[in-house]
Amino acid sequence: MTDHKTGTREEWLAARLELLDAEKELTRRSDELARRRQELPWVRIDKAYRFETDKGTAFLADLFGGRSQLLIYHFMFGPEYTAGCPSCSTIADGFDGFTVHLANHDVALSAVSPAPLATLQAYKRRMGWRFPWASSLDGDFNFDFNVSLTEEQQREGGEYNYRREAPWKVRGIGDSLTKRGEGPVAEIAAMTGTDTATYTRQRPGMSSFVLENGVIYHAYSTYARGLDGLWGMYQWLDRAPKGRNEKGIWWRRHDEYANPGTGAR
Amino acid sequence: MTDHQIVSHGDWVAARERFLAKEKEFTRLREELSRERCELPWECVKKEYVFEGENGGETLAHLFGGRSQLIVYHLMYEADWNIGCESGSFWADNVKGIIPHLNERDMSLVAISRAPLEELRAQAKHFGWTFKWVSCVGNDFNLDFNVWLAPETLARGEAAYNYGSKKFTGPSRPGISAFFKDAGQVFHTHSTYARGRLDLLPGGVGEWPPTAKTPFCCASR
Repeated sequence: MTDHKTGTREEWLAARLELLDAEKELTRRSDELARRRQELPWVRIDKAYRFETDKGTAFLADLFGGRSQLLIYHFMFGPEYTAGCPSCSTIADGFDGFTVHLANHDVALSAVSPAPLATLQAYKRRMGWRFPWASSLDGDFNFDFNVSLTEEQQREGGEYNYRREAPWKVRGIGDSLTKRGEGPVAEIAAMTGTDTATYTRQRPGMSSFVLENGVIYHAYSTYARGLDGLWGMYQWLDRAPKGRNEKGIWWRRHDEYANPGTGAR
Repeated sequence: MTDHQIVSHGDWVAARERFLAKEKEFTRLREELSRERCELPWECVKKEYVFEGENGGETLAHLFGGRSQLIVYHLMYEADWNIGCESGSFWADNVKGIIPHLNERDMSLVAISRAPLEELRAQAKHFGWTFKWVSCVGNDFNLDFNVWLAPETLARGEAAYNYGSKKFTGPSRPGISAFFKDAGQVFHTHSTYARGRLDLLPGGVGEWPPTAKTPFCCASR
């Protein structure tokens, strides 16, 4: 029998109602944050960033695909990676399904990574995704939005999530991704065919842009745990009886599980 | 030129950092709620519900599919509707990609609707959905978990939703219920309704109520 506290429906309901008040408060806080997010000032973008896309060479304005708003997921897929970051891949498994809905609400969603386009295209085919994915190659885009670091920046301490990070040490520990020890990061790095240093020169994030009267503005960027709410898998796990229930890196790409559950009948 | 406030990158970063502090506070608050949610007491599910699925009649215990956790999405789809509720369909597009990861964490995710199995089958085929979707036609499941109201309750005006906080106006409402199975016994651990379930859509939902061209959900049908 279970060790968890069990009760009658009335007892359960009383506890549930107490939690409901707290949940509603969180929902209202979330609304307030969304309002404040929209009130942030914008920065005009004057640089002509170039990308390689399925439709050829493109500028940032082209990634809007005729919409007035653009969300970019900074997918960690560096030029040295042999496969995309497995964590970013689970986030992409979520947004792949609703990109079409956003596109019909004046919002384009595109992933951007510095790996060559052909590499991104092959990985996208493997994963069965449909969202647009552009290569920023060796342009400034990823560096300007603090999701790629040069080796020099990494050695001396780069800027990520609005913080200056500690200089890189050979045995890890120091920057945002390795602060809980090198182990889990080395494990993920190996899944991308790289070492920890190479893997962590790419960083996760998302940025939003607006196009008005032919001018592009940068509106918002978020990094690190700021992506938590966009990681659909975790929102569901938080509602499971056992919660996140994790002691390390358990996730893999969706075609790499030993017993892939598809949820199929 | 836009009406929105335009600033230099330095000023933008300053405003963004002030906002980051608020976002971090929110993330911590959410973690605290997740902890509290896991600490809720559980109730035994004593009733035997039988659902119609691809494997014939299946009990609630069967729906766990060999895993110890089950989340049910009460997908609004009544027998006389032509198409599943729009927000339910939107839900499906949101979760279909993440189900393998949830399965890996010992959790099954199943949609349950009141329409007969053959209608669910046709709908799934139309949209290319492969997640498990069973019919609760003929059992009390949706009634007991407060996402369907008996006509007589509705007629008396006593229908309430989301733990009594909202009046029911139609027979059917969306929700999510979580269950745990241990030594053959099924426990109900948590149910959430209304906006509570929308936090499961990554990034929130924008407007509430939605201002889509079609009225929110199918309750008005």
